[in-house]
Amino acid sequence: MDWQPLWLTFRLAIITSCILFVLALPLAYWLAFTKFKGKGIIEAVIGMPLVLPPSVLGFYLLLAFSPSHWFGAWVENILGLRLVFSFPGLVIGSVIYSLPFMVYPLRAGLQSLPVSLREASFTLGKGRWETFYKILLPNCKSAILTSLVLTFAHTIGEFGVVLMIGGNIPGVTKVASVAIYNEVEALNYDVANQYALVLFAITFVILLLVYSLNNRFLRVRQTS
Amino acid sequence: MNIKRIFFPVLIFLSGCSKPSEKIIVATAANVQYVMKELKTEFEKETGKEIEVVVSSSGKLTAQIREGAPFDVFVSADTKYPEEIFSKGGSDEKPKIYAYGTLALWSLSIPENELNLKVLNTDKVKKIAVPNPKMAPYGEAAVQALQKENLLESLKSKIVYGESIAQAAQYITTGSVEAGFTALSVILAPEMKGKGHYQIVDSTSYKPIAQAALLLRHSDNSPKKETSQKFYDFLFSQKAKAIFKKYGYK
Repeated sequence: MDWQPLWLTFRLAIITSCILFVLALPLAYWLAFTKFKGKGIIEAVIGMPLVLPPSVLGFYLLLAFSPSHWFGAWVENILGLRLVFSFPGLVIGSVIYSLPFMVYPLRAGLQSLPVSLREASFTLGKGRWETFYKILLPNCKSAILTSLVLTFAHTIGEFGVVLMIGGNIPGVTKVASVAIYNEVEALNYDVANQYALVLFAITFVILLLVYSLNNRFLRVRQTS
Repeated sequence: MNIKRIFFPVLIFLSGCSKPSEKIIVATAANVQYVMKELKTEFEKETGKEIEVVVSSSGKLTAQIREGAPFDVFVSADTKYPEEIFSKGGSDEKPKIYAYGTLALWSLSIPENELNLKVLNTDKVKKIAVPNPKMAPYGEAAVQALQKENLLESLKSKIVYGESIAQAAQYITTGSVEAGFTALSVILAPEMKGKGHYQIVDSTSYKPIAQAALLLRHSDNSPKKETSQKFYDFLFSQKAKAIFKKYGYK
C-alpha cells in the first residue's frame, strides 16, 4: 500500500475546509440575518451540490477547465495555470462540491442564537463586526465544529468529481477514493481493503473526537 | 391529505412485475462498444434473437461477473481478465481470441503531418491522455510504445491517466489535453467521425493487444444457453471478422 493517496486526500480535505470556512462565514451570516427577498434563489444555488450527481458537477468542471473553453483558456493565459488534472483544480471542485455542508450548519447555528444577544451587544455600542466575532461566533462553537467536520468528511469521500477532472496522476490528483477504485479494478482486493480500512479507521477516530468535544461544548452551555 | 392514499398506488406502480427476459446480456469492454452495435444488428438480423449490451471496463465487468452478475457472454479488451474468470470456474471452455486491437495517437489541435510520438515532447503538447495502464490494455501498450522511443521519462509530467480508453477519448475530444492514446476502434466509430486527426502507432513498438471472449457458464436448462452459444460462435464467424476489420481491429 502506498501512503501518498491517503496523504493527498487529507491535504485536499484540510485545504478545502479552510478555504470554505473563510468563504462560508460571511455567506452564512448574510443568509441568517438578511431581509433580502430573493434569498431563496441564493439558497437554492448553494444547495445544488447536495442534490446534483457529482458526475454532473465533474462533467461541467471538465468542460469549464478545458483550455478549449473560454474560462480554461482565460485562466491559462492570465495565470499560466491549467486547472484540469491539477491539485488546484481539485481544490476548486471540492470547494463547490462541499459548499452546502459548510454554509448550512453555520447559518443554522447563527440563526439559533437568541436575538437578545445581538441586540444587547448593539445597545452596548459594539459594531456589527465586533459583535460577530466576539459574541456570535464564540456562541456557535458547536455549529462551527459540525460544519468543519461535515466539510472535511464530505471532501474525503469525494469520488465522482475527482474521477472526472483528476486524471489519476499519482501524487497530484490520485486521492484515496480513486486509489481504492483502481485497486478493485485491477482485482487487487487485498490492497483495496488496506486503503479502505485505513480510511475507515481514521474517519471514525476523527468523528469520535469531534463528537466528544461537541458534547463538552453543549454541556458547558447547559450548565452556564 | 392522506399520504397513504398517494403512497401505495405509487409503490405498486414502481414494483411492477416484469417477465424474466429471454434476452442474453453481452458484457462488453469499452473499446468494443462501437463495433458491438454493428455486430448486434447483424446478429439479430441473422437469428431473430435479441441481445442486450452492457458496456464497462474489463476490470469492472470481471469484478461483477465474479460477484455473480447475470451476464451470458464476456467480450474483454484483453486476455488476462477472461483467463481470471475461467481459472475461477466461471466458464466451461477456455477464452478465445476474437481480434487484435490497434493503438492510435489522436489529437484535435495537431495537424496530421506533424502528429507522431516525437511531437509529444515539444511545447505544442502540455498534457497527454493515456488510459490507465494498470487496468486498460491499451494504456499498457501506450506506455510500452513511449518506452521504446525513450520518451516515457521526459513525458512523465505531461501524462494524465483516464480510467479507461473511453475517458482518455473524452479528455482528447473535449480539448482538455492536446493529444492522447486510445483504441483505433474508438476513433473510427461513427460517433467520432471527423473529430481531429489520428496516427496509428507502429504495431511493433508494443505487445499485441489480444482481445478474448468468454462464454460464461450456464445451467443446462437455462433458456439463454442456446442463444449465448450462438452469439459466441458468431463472434468468430467470417461476417464478424469483416466488421471487426472495418473498425480497425486486426
